[in-house]
Amino acid sequence: MNEILPPKPNQKKKRLRNWLIFIVIGIIYVWAFKGVYERADWSIFNNLAEKFDRVIPRLFSPDWAETEKVWGYIIETIFIAYAGTLIAAILAVPFGFWAAKNMVKSPIWNTLGKWILILDRTFPELILAILFVITVGPGPFAGVLTIGLTAFGMLGKLYAEIIESIDMKVVEAMEANGANKLQILFYAIFPQVLPEFLSFALYRFEIDIRASTILGLVGAGGIGTLIVIAAANRNWEQLGLILFGIIIVVSIIDFASTKIRKRLV
Amino acid sequence: MITFKNLSLVYPNGTPGLKDVNVTINEGEFVVIVGLSGAGKSTFIRSINRMVSPTEGELYLDDENVLELGSKSLRKLRTKVGMIFQNYNLVNRSSVFKNTISGRLGHTGTLRSIFNLYPKEDKVKAYENLKRVNIENYIYQRADQLSGGQQQRVSIARVLTQDPKLILADEPVASLDPPTSHQVMQYLKRINREDNITTIVNLHFIDMAMEYADRIIGMRDGEVVFDGPVSEVSESTFEQIYNRPIREDDLRGSESNDGEE
Repeated sequence: MNEILPPKPNQKKKRLRNWLIFIVIGIIYVWAFKGVYERADWSIFNNLAEKFDRVIPRLFSPDWAETEKVWGYIIETIFIAYAGTLIAAILAVPFGFWAAKNMVKSPIWNTLGKWILILDRTFPELILAILFVITVGPGPFAGVLTIGLTAFGMLGKLYAEIIESIDMKVVEAMEANGANKLQILFYAIFPQVLPEFLSFALYRFEIDIRASTILGLVGAGGIGTLIVIAAANRNWEQLGLILFGIIIVVSIIDFASTKIRKRLV
Repeated sequence: MITFKNLSLVYPNGTPGLKDVNVTINEGEFVVIVGLSGAGKSTFIRSINRMVSPTEGELYLDDENVLELGSKSLRKLRTKVGMIFQNYNLVNRSSVFKNTISGRLGHTGTLRSIFNLYPKEDKVKAYENLKRVNIENYIYQRADQLSGGQQQRVSIARVLTQDPKLILADEPVASLDPPTSHQVMQYLKRINREDNITTIVNLHFIDMAMEYADRIIGMRDGEVVFDGPVSEVSESTFEQIYNRPIREDDLRGSESNDGEE
């Protein structure tokens, strides 16, 4: 059987290289674990069980009396995510076209569009949130701007990739029958890309719901504000209720959005 | 009337597409262009509506030099020239009707077309043309639910809705099976006869060219090596055009009676 295939080249060299990699990684592991073992402060585990006993049961006995207040903040969180995603989903359309190779003929101009989107994506969410809290003041509006700007970078890039993957033959057919640029956009390009645009915007909305729950940590509105207060007061019953609410809402929205997206494409 | 005068085309990467082509095509003619792939058939056809731009010479369509047109007058010219493609080039997600009415785009204002406000006679025209190619039952189906032959018929209806003076068909049957190929060619031929629309078709199947053409233009390496009525064409003519003996796969095969559906 072995004679069917020609012998693989450089067997010896390859085997030597693999052994070398194996040994180097092994040494790094031994060194790392030894360091952790020697320097770790093992005393933190001494009363771990006791601490858990104090917090965990209270987390699991939510304070239902606070439901109304928590619900109000959860709604605010959803609205922040919704408004932010909406801004991003719309703003990303022109930038998606700008950054798509098959739409912009000049490579320099096209690369500029790509770079703007890359630049936008380099900002961590919480840093942006802090910047907006400083500039527009604390509250949900700072949260909306944060979500809008971070989602915009990702959606713009995804939109551009969708546009680059369309069937340009349809565009050719429309050009051949005398349609102008706008007509080509509406008749040949939008039908191909809009369902996918919407699908990705929904997917981004799922992410943004989760993202907007922590924006309150830096004062940008939403349920995070309440999390900070509850944790600071060691009000574990309230925190339990908040977590419960977030889990429910995120699950429902994930489920619904998955269903809708399946039907879209 | 279409006149090629010393027309040449060199692609930006240096490949020659057309070499000094001189041809006149009269109104109402059904011309089939034959040649091996890479012979310049597509370039020939696409020069007429400037989907490619010839680099030298003159090309007249009804006394208008196509090569000198600006983008606006070029769009106007293209509304008169219908084009049919090998891969049908329909919008898959749009309905058959929307694909057909898009033939009116060049005649319709931008806002009107974006909001789907076509005049009633345009809608009637689109429907009548779907009837003409016997595809009217599928009017509200998505284009990608149709078979290849049906899609090509929709693209014929789209071209007819344009009210063209000239139809260019670039390998319209290359992706179809023999019976469907004949069906599509018969529709093209009938439209050519009934509406007196000049039709230029690229084919590489010898038997189909012989069956449907009034006139055959043979191309090899970007040059016209044969031009004459179909009555003057024999097997040796094709051997001369192809520069090799005729083979089995140069033939599409005869029409069988059990059509597509």
